[in-house]
Amino acid sequence: MTANLSVVRDAPARAAIEVADLSHTYAGREGPVPALTDISMTVGAGRFVVIVGPSGCGKTSLLMMMAGLRHQTAGTIHIQGAPIDAPDPHRVGVVFQEASLFPWLSALDNIEFPLALRHAPREERRARANDMLNLVGLQGFGARYPHELSGGMKQRVSIARGLVQDPPVLLMDEPFAALDEQTRMTMGHELLRIWSQTAKTVVFVTHSLTEAVYLADEVLVMSARPGRIIDRIAVPLPRPRTYEMMATDVFGRLRERIWQQIRKEG
Amino acid sequence: MMRRPAPSTVRWVILAALLVFWELFPRTGIIPELFLPPLSKTIAVLVKDWREYASELSVTLYEVAFAMLIACGAGILAGALTGGIALLRNLLLPVFSSLYAVPIVILYPIFTAWFGIGSQSKIIFAGVYGFFPVMLTTAAGIRTIDAQLLLAARSMGASLPQQITRVIIPASIPTVLSGLRLGGALTIIGVVVSEMLTSAAGIGYLVTRYRTILDSPHVFGAIVMILLLSIAFDTLARAIERRTMVWQTAGRRQKEGERVDVAVKPATAVV
Ligand SMILES: Nc1ncnc2c1ncn2[C@@H]1O[C@H](COP(=O)(O)OP(=O)(O)O)[C@@H](O)[C@H]1O
Ligand SMILES: [Mg+2]
Repeated sequence: MTANLSVVRDAPARAAIEVADLSHTYAGREGPVPALTDISMTVGAGRFVVIVGPSGCGKTSLLMMMAGLRHQTAGTIHIQGAPIDAPDPHRVGVVFQEASLFPWLSALDNIEFPLALRHAPREERRARANDMLNLVGLQGFGARYPHELSGGMKQRVSIARGLVQDPPVLLMDEPFAALDEQTRMTMGHELLRIWSQTAKTVVFVTHSLTEAVYLADEVLVMSARPGRIIDRIAVPLPRPRTYEMMATDVFGRLRERIWQQIRKEG
Repeated sequence: MMRRPAPSTVRWVILAALLVFWELFPRTGIIPELFLPPLSKTIAVLVKDWREYASELSVTLYEVAFAMLIACGAGILAGALTGGIALLRNLLLPVFSSLYAVPIVILYPIFTAWFGIGSQSKIIFAGVYGFFPVMLTTAAGIRTIDAQLLLAARSMGASLPQQITRVIIPASIPTVLSGLRLGGALTIIGVVVSEMLTSAAGIGYLVTRYRTILDSPHVFGAIVMILLLSIAFDTLARAIERRTMVWQTAGRRQKEGERVDVAVKPATAVV
C-alpha cells in the first residue's frame, strides 16, 4: 500500500500543458499565411508562464488552439494529460483582451454564464458566482452592468468568469492591455494573489516586459511571424512578488535580456 | 440669467402654438377654411361622427395588425437567415437593399389586380412595405455582433443553439427593435396610402371620399385620426425599446458624460 502511494507521489507530475511540434498556417486571402512553426512547450501544474513576442507573431493563435477554439494544422496539444480538440471549460478558462462581458447581463449573471450553460441549479450558481466575486475583490458590485464598471473591474469580472468552473488551467490573452499603467500594475498584483489562492496553471500573453518579469515563473519569447519560441527565461525572483523588486538589478537584467531578444525580431 | 428651458417644455410650447394657429388662421381668414378648417370644427366633426370614424379606424387597425405580423415575422426570419448565413448574405442582401430603394407604392395597382380591392391587398402591400426595413436591420444587427462575445461563449462551452439563444438574440435585440419601429411606421403608411388609392373602407378611404366632396372638416378629422395612430404606435414602440435596452441606453448616456459613477472609498478603491 504505502509503496504504491509513494510511487504515485514520486512520479514526476504530468505537465498541465504539453504542446508538441505545433505549427499553424492560415489560408489567407493572398495565399497561405504561416503563423506558427514548431512550437513545443511544457507548462508544469501550478506554474505561471508568460509569452511575449512581436505583434502578429501568433500569440493569440497559440492561445486559441490551447483553448480548443481553433485547430492547428500540425502538432498536438495536451491539457491535463488529454488532447484538446474543442473548448472544455472544465479544463481551460479563457480571459480575453477585451473584457468580452455580455453587456445585457449584470456582473453576477456574467460570472454565472458558464454554469447556466450547463444548467447548474440556481442556488449553486449564485453561491459559486458570489464566491468568485469575492475572490476577485468585487463584493457588492454583483448587480452592476458592465457599462457601470471601470476597465479594471470588468477584467476582474472576466477573471471571475474564467475561474467559475474551477478549471486547472487559465489562459489570458493580454488581459490588461487596455488599462492605464497604474491600474495595470494593481491588476497584475491582484492576479498573483488570486493565482496563489487558487493554484492554477496560468499562460499569460503580454506586450509589457515589466509585467512579464513581474508575473512570471518563466518567460517564453517568440520570434516574428511565423512564430517560434526563441528563448525561455526563468525568473528567479522570490514569491510573493513586491513592487520593490522592480527596482532590483535582477529584475532589470531579466527585462533587458527579453528586450534584446524582441528587438532582434523587430 | 434665465435658465434654458428643458427640451420637453419647448416641444410642448411649439405643439400648443401650432394648435392655436390652427384655430386662429382659418378663423381670421388668413387661410381659407376649405384648405384648413379650424381645429374646433375638426374636433366637432370627430365628436359628431365618432361612430363612422371608429368603425373605419377598426378596419385600418385590423389591416395594420396583420400587415405588421407579416412585416415583423417574415422580416425577422429573412433578416436572421441572410445576416447569419454568409452565402445567403452575399446573394440576397444586395438585391434586397436595392429593392428597398424602389418606391413600392408604384406596384400597388398590381397588388389590387392580384388580391382585389378589399383588406387582403392592403395587408399584403403594407406587409411587403414594412418588411424591408425589418429584414435589413435584423440582418445588420446579426452581422455586427461582436465576434469576441461569440468566441467567449464558445470558450465557456456554449453549443450552437446556446450561442444563438444566449448571445446572438440578446445582442441583436436593440437593432431589431429599431427596425421594427421603422417597419411598423411604414406598415401604417402602407395601409393608409393603399386605402386612399383604391378601397371602400378604412381611415385612408375616408380621407379620399370626403376630399372628393370638398368636406374639409371631415378630411382633417380623418387626418387627425391617422396622426394619432402613428403617434400612439411610435410611443409604444419607444417605450418597449427603452424597457429592453437598459444596458444600451445606459451605455450611450455614459458616453455623453452623465456617467453613473462608481462610488468607492479611495483607500479601498477597486480598479
Ligand atoms: N483568421 C485568420 N486568417 C488569416 N490570417 C490570420 C488569421 N488570424 C490571424 N492571422 C494572422 O496570423 C498572424 C498571427 O496572428 P495572432 O495570433 O493574432 O498574433 P498576435 O496575437 O501575436 O498578435 C498574424 O499575422 C495575423 O495576421
Ligand atoms: Mg494577439
